[in-house]
Amino acid sequence: MIERRLIYLLMIVAVSIPVIFEFSWPPSRLVSAERMYEVIEQVQVNKGEVALLWVDFGPGTIAENKPQAEVIIEHLFRRRIPVVMLSQYQLAEAVLNSIPREISARLEKEMPGQSWRYGEAWINAGYQPGGAQMMQNLAAAKDLSKYFGRDVSGMPFTHYPAFASIGGIEHVKLVAEVTGLVGVFDTIIQFFQKSGYRPTVVHGCTSITIPEAYIFLDSNQLHGLLEGVAGAAWYSEVLKQRNPQSQNEALLVRNTALIIAHVVLILLIVAGNVVGLVRARRQNRA
Amino acid sequence: MLDASPWSITSVLLGGIATLAIFSFLVRENAFYRFFEHVFIGLAAAVLPVLTIRDFLWPKILEPMLGLDIVVYPDGTVSEPYQPLYLLYLIPMAFGSLYYFIYSKRHAWLARLVIGFSLGLSGALAIRGFFAEALPQIVGSFKPLIVYINGNFSAAESFNNVLFVATLLLVFNYFFFTFGKEGSIQGKIAPLGRPLLMVCFGAFFGSTVMARLSLLVERVQFIVRDWFSTILQIFGYG
Repeated sequence: MIERRLIYLLMIVAVSIPVIFEFSWPPSRLVSAERMYEVIEQVQVNKGEVALLWVDFGPGTIAENKPQAEVIIEHLFRRRIPVVMLSQYQLAEAVLNSIPREISARLEKEMPGQSWRYGEAWINAGYQPGGAQMMQNLAAAKDLSKYFGRDVSGMPFTHYPAFASIGGIEHVKLVAEVTGLVGVFDTIIQFFQKSGYRPTVVHGCTSITIPEAYIFLDSNQLHGLLEGVAGAAWYSEVLKQRNPQSQNEALLVRNTALIIAHVVLILLIVAGNVVGLVRARRQNRA
Repeated sequence: MLDASPWSITSVLLGGIATLAIFSFLVRENAFYRFFEHVFIGLAAAVLPVLTIRDFLWPKILEPMLGLDIVVYPDGTVSEPYQPLYLLYLIPMAFGSLYYFIYSKRHAWLARLVIGFSLGLSGALAIRGFFAEALPQIVGSFKPLIVYINGNFSAAESFNNVLFVATLLLVFNYFFFTFGKEGSIQGKIAPLGRPLLMVCFGAFFGSTVMARLSLLVERVQFIVRDWFSTILQIFGYG
């Protein structure tokens, strides 16, 4: 019997190698992530129109969902599409604040003279409790600015010209949902629509929820999908191809560590089965 | 690159200690692990009521109801007149508060009114949600078995669709228990659904493992890049 702690140690050492030496391999091409890139690339907004980004994740799935939220925000910021950030999940509070600030700082460093400021590029509507009922009310609201009322800091939406009078759901040109929570994403598909208008919906999911998300992708209820870290890595690669100054090194290192972990896992499964078969044969002979 | 503010350094240091405490469970169950597990559960539980009050109950219900969101300008005019209709919020609030009668043996029936209302509401929402979600998926499952793309026959797409439809029908058949299957064609092909289901479960399991490994990689990245480099900075090696 192999000491299970040795296997844990082996796995930690395996994933630590690319992290310590900071090397990375190119990510695999993922069609659904590429499709999502093209969908966001095609979004056209007039004055007052926005994208909604649901950041429904906390520490439990931050490893996969945070890079997804980052690449989506980076793309929306580069395209100058105003983003309303909000969440149905209370533990998303910290990332709702930090991610757009990190991305705007990075873009401002990359493009001196240009700025992405709070209230112009994005606004944080904060935690929105109520699940399906809230989503129905949101879809039925005549003016989303009035529905939200104030941002997390207590400032009225009307204070920010880009978000002062968004109007109804038909002025939401894109809905992006980043979550690993079962049932949260479904609420948007089920209720965030009204007669004659269903916004374009894209989704960043964790690896666990990929099989479920494919169903929505297949039925065209979903227009693009980021599958775990691999999806975010390929999306960031497409972003980098179109914007060579975009930085995705840390994400590619994470994706490489994940690849190595998978290889080690497969080798362990094969080795375990071989050892098991050999032992079974020996026992049969004895 | 790390933000050098004391708050940021403290949070990174604490984050690293908490991560190592949780990982210590891999060696064995211990008090260090249990302490941080309880800290996390306590934090997660406390955040919900605070945010519900701060982001919803106060700004959307109590503030407008009490007229506290009205700004009085120096000339005595107000930003907007008080809307007495906001007082109607008191009706659902009072009705919802009946739930607390669940603690009274004599008046517990009042709580059942709220529970019944909630069940009815949830049921209605679930029915509406089901149709909005499932109907496009049912329609989406009607796929052409022979696919032409730009006028040319696509063998790969056709194979995909045939596989999809065959899997759908075989799994449906596997779970079809209305009539006896013994001796019928339906009964003979029913076992074919099982290996297809096993493939699906395998995909679920594989993706679950991938998610867990992603968490491990992210924590290792945090420990190596942020936590360890912060410690080096503190000791003047960074």
